[in-house]
Amino acid sequence: MSEELVKAISEMDDEAAINLTKELLGKGTDPMEILGDCRSAMEIVGKRFEQGEYFISELILAGETLSAISELVKPLVKAAASTKKNGKIVIGTVKGDIHDIAKDIVSFMLDVNGFEVKDLGVDVAPETFVETIKSFDPEIVALSGFLTLAHTSMKETVEAIKAAGLRDKVKIMIGGGTIDAQVCDYAKADGWGTDAMTAISLAKQWTGAN
Amino acid sequence: MDYTKMLVMACATVIEEMTPILPEGIHHKVLDFGLHVTPEKLRTTLQNEIDSVNDNIETILLGYGLCSQAVIGVTARKATLVVPRVDDCIAIFLGSRDAYTVQNNKAPGTYYLTKGWIEVGDTPFTEYNLMVERLGKARADRALKLLLKNYTRLALINTGQYDIERYREYVRRTADRFGLRYEEIEGSNTLVKKMLEGDWDEEFVVVKPGETICYSHFFPPDE
Repeated sequence: MSEELVKAISEMDDEAAINLTKELLGKGTDPMEILGDCRSAMEIVGKRFEQGEYFISELILAGETLSAISELVKPLVKAAASTKKNGKIVIGTVKGDIHDIAKDIVSFMLDVNGFEVKDLGVDVAPETFVETIKSFDPEIVALSGFLTLAHTSMKETVEAIKAAGLRDKVKIMIGGGTIDAQVCDYAKADGWGTDAMTAISLAKQWTGAN
Repeated sequence: MDYTKMLVMACATVIEEMTPILPEGIHHKVLDFGLHVTPEKLRTTLQNEIDSVNDNIETILLGYGLCSQAVIGVTARKATLVVPRVDDCIAIFLGSRDAYTVQNNKAPGTYYLTKGWIEVGDTPFTEYNLMVERLGKARADRALKLLLKNYTRLALINTGQYDIERYREYVRRTADRFGLRYEEIEGSNTLVKKMLEGDWDEEFVVVKPGETICYSHFFPPDE
């Protein structure tokens, strides 16, 4: 683990983070180790955000650095089949909501935890989720939303999946700042969370991954 | 209606829409707008304020919506609580939950502004200056650009409650500066008026003294 890299990402020094990544890759460091550092850094950022030390802007900047690093690292992660053994997940921000800062972080974290993630973006219609379940055949569907308006969309998405006869094929998790057990009941999802770590542990639990 | 036994407890942004039509004799208390960022803090503040309300108040009208679930769990020992059955203040400004849904489906990436929001000055646009202080200009610029990347429209809601002209220019300028489409949309004081007039139909959550505001009041489960 590169403590320097973890520090650079978690303190929003994107320039140093990118340079360090290049340097590490040049030295032959395992790309998975670098992604592991990204994961550790995001856990720190998440914690500082929870404690009120960081704001949304810090979260966004760290997220941007992550994307830049993964662009550099991912092409080098070979044999996708062997590294993506944990299962397939389709993720998206539900219809009527366009917030994706947290969703992007969850998506990234699931990816570096060995899941094959298909991210459908924002304002995703229930029928798009349904179509993607048919074509991509995921084990898990992750519905994200920031506004309470999204609660209705989450419910409608779960209903659409059920109506398409696909409800038994997938586990559904919902996530976002206003999500709790009551919303999970209302939307008839299988699990819920308010941070990336919960998404990962749910996904691992549901797929039996380590 | 005996307005002397009624209290309006409202967010600083919502009170702007109520002030012009507040009935004579009604009491009112304004709470800090910034509380909405931390729903737990808003909930605690609301509960404490409600707990300290004078015993002769029989009804408390909350100038709030669900507000990221901040009103869930709130209870008044001796008064009836009334709160619009809406997600947040945008629906209050637009006049109904349905009107909000219509606008949201039209352009989900809308940043809404009203006099109240502009006056209290707590938007990503005013937040920008603080970001510059904290992160430097280059990073603040990047963060704001990313923050707004899914937004397409900056909408000024004209509720007809006050002179809008002076805010038009500000909102237009802000839209230009941040590359958003400026639009003025028609608001309404229907909901606020109904609340103040005691016309508490299905658009409101009404809980008796000692009862608690619940999630199911806003999102009823299937029959």
